[in-house]
Amino acid sequence: MLTSPPSTRRVLLVVVATTAALVVAVACGLVIGPTSISASRIVGDTFSHLGMGHSTLTSLQSTIVWQLRAPRMVLGLLAGAMLAVAGATYQGVFRNPLADPYLLGVAAGAGLGATFAIVNIANASSVPAWTPLLAFAGALIAVALTWVIGGRSMRSTPATLVLAGVAVSALFTSAQTFLQQQSSTQSIARVYIWLLGSLATASWHSVLIVVPYVVLCCVVCVLAARALDIMSVGDDEARSVGLSVRSVRLLVVGAASLGTAAIVSVVGLIGFVGIIVPHIVRLLVGTSYRRILPLSVIFGAAFLVLCDTVARTVMAPSELPLGVVTAVIGAPVFVLILSVRRKSNS
Amino acid sequence: MKMVHLDRVTMRAGSTVLVHDVSLEVEAGTWCTIIGPNGAGKTSLVAALAGLRTLAHGTVSIDQHRLDSLKERERARLVAYVPQHPEIPAGMTVEEYVTLSRVAFHGVLRAPSIHDRAIVAGVIERLELGDFRHRDGASLSGGERQRMVLARALAQSTKVVVLDEPITGLDVRHQMDILELLKKEVAECGLTVIATLHDLTLAGLFTDRLVLLHRGEVRKDGAAHDVIRSEELALSYGTRLRVVNVDGSDVVVPMRGESH
Repeated sequence: MLTSPPSTRRVLLVVVATTAALVVAVACGLVIGPTSISASRIVGDTFSHLGMGHSTLTSLQSTIVWQLRAPRMVLGLLAGAMLAVAGATYQGVFRNPLADPYLLGVAAGAGLGATFAIVNIANASSVPAWTPLLAFAGALIAVALTWVIGGRSMRSTPATLVLAGVAVSALFTSAQTFLQQQSSTQSIARVYIWLLGSLATASWHSVLIVVPYVVLCCVVCVLAARALDIMSVGDDEARSVGLSVRSVRLLVVGAASLGTAAIVSVVGLIGFVGIIVPHIVRLLVGTSYRRILPLSVIFGAAFLVLCDTVARTVMAPSELPLGVVTAVIGAPVFVLILSVRRKSNS
Repeated sequence: MKMVHLDRVTMRAGSTVLVHDVSLEVEAGTWCTIIGPNGAGKTSLVAALAGLRTLAHGTVSIDQHRLDSLKERERARLVAYVPQHPEIPAGMTVEEYVTLSRVAFHGVLRAPSIHDRAIVAGVIERLELGDFRHRDGASLSGGERQRMVLARALAQSTKVVVLDEPITGLDVRHQMDILELLKKEVAECGLTVIATLHDLTLAGLFTDRLVLLHRGEVRKDGAAHDVIRSEELALSYGTRLRVVNVDGSDVVVPMRGESH
């Protein structure tokens, strides 16, 4: 952990670096792929859409960039930002460094919903269109159940809520496993692929579906940063200085869960982003959520798109599961920063 | 003027009674200390005084306002609270920590105003924390840390400050420092202080009034001098105590041997 508060200069440096990473990520998302299309021609094409100059892209290339790569990149940005912010928010609101966006049952609920859709409605060809809707419903039901069980009693603490989340997750996961076990081999494979998470099915349609949730939820969480800072001194003291801890917790957990549910229902379960990104940011800029939350938005977005670029290129034409890449890249980066920080502190 | 008023307060945790039928009135600008053995209900009572617990029965009022009828933010302008074990988040500077107390004034969506910052700066100056302003609060020594927590409570600009064991774990000099600081706030600013203390000698030395709590009930309430010499005190603690007068101050000395 960072033991001395960071200097303004370092915070500024981190802001510049993460913004640069975001720009690089956007460029990678558009430029890198099996069909080689140079960056300058993509830039030229962008300007031609704005009425300046004319494009040198063929209509096929234009379709590849704007109908395949661009929505995938944008969905990656949204998913990365949302998962990172939700993770940081959960860590703050539960004062628990191990909290991740799936803590209260979002993952298990979405998993059950998606499995139900795939097993029951699937035709031979593809994952049914109902999947996101049922995954979303499952995620929300699971979190609501967690809240009712763990958060309703007057003496509820963050710990009771987390424990309720564990119980609800276990319940939903066992139901999901049962459904999966009863179904055909084909569906099992499809469920498994869905659970691993992927941006491969991204379209502008899916982007449009999640945009309102992600924007709303990120704004709520970032605005709550000051409240999260105050809550770091504990519930009683936060209340004693005038913070409505219960309302803030309900609002913030609600927002983080809603946004996560929306993302998960479209891209499946992408692990590790929600826990690793906030911790990397925290190691760089200190423990104040007024710095951690906005920077998690930027860094989470950049990180996931860069990981996705790796996921879809290293073994092209087949894709690596995105969750595998986030862990393989995220873990060493985290360890590296941790050891550098330790050295500079001692 | 009555600043704090407890009216027949009963508190429960499940079926256990923590505090039973306690009534208490504290004058503005005075210091009232709650003493009693471990498990007497002091911590529960103090948390109730700060408006942080649901009462099974009775009411707590501060400055004529019933605490259970107030919003968190309104209550925070009336009473500040220092718990027995304050949590000091790593990576938060002393200044940031003290500034937390101003949220009831500037609101959770806004930054502290110039006025808020001026009050924080004033309290930091008064408590001689200026040199530590930009230090990580978690890296301070016990005495400095307790001063920082006290600064947070004072920067809240309330008429009443409630403290649970504010000098536990400090050496004798730092204990004296903290108590002197509080005494000065009472004498010069008219602050009303309600604290729990374990050190009976120090309690008698600094306090206008002692309230002896035993098994959740008030056993004795009065001037420090009388409570310290009372039969009830030794009975409550279940040990032999002798009170010695040293240069006009009462010193409570525990004695070995059979309790009576």
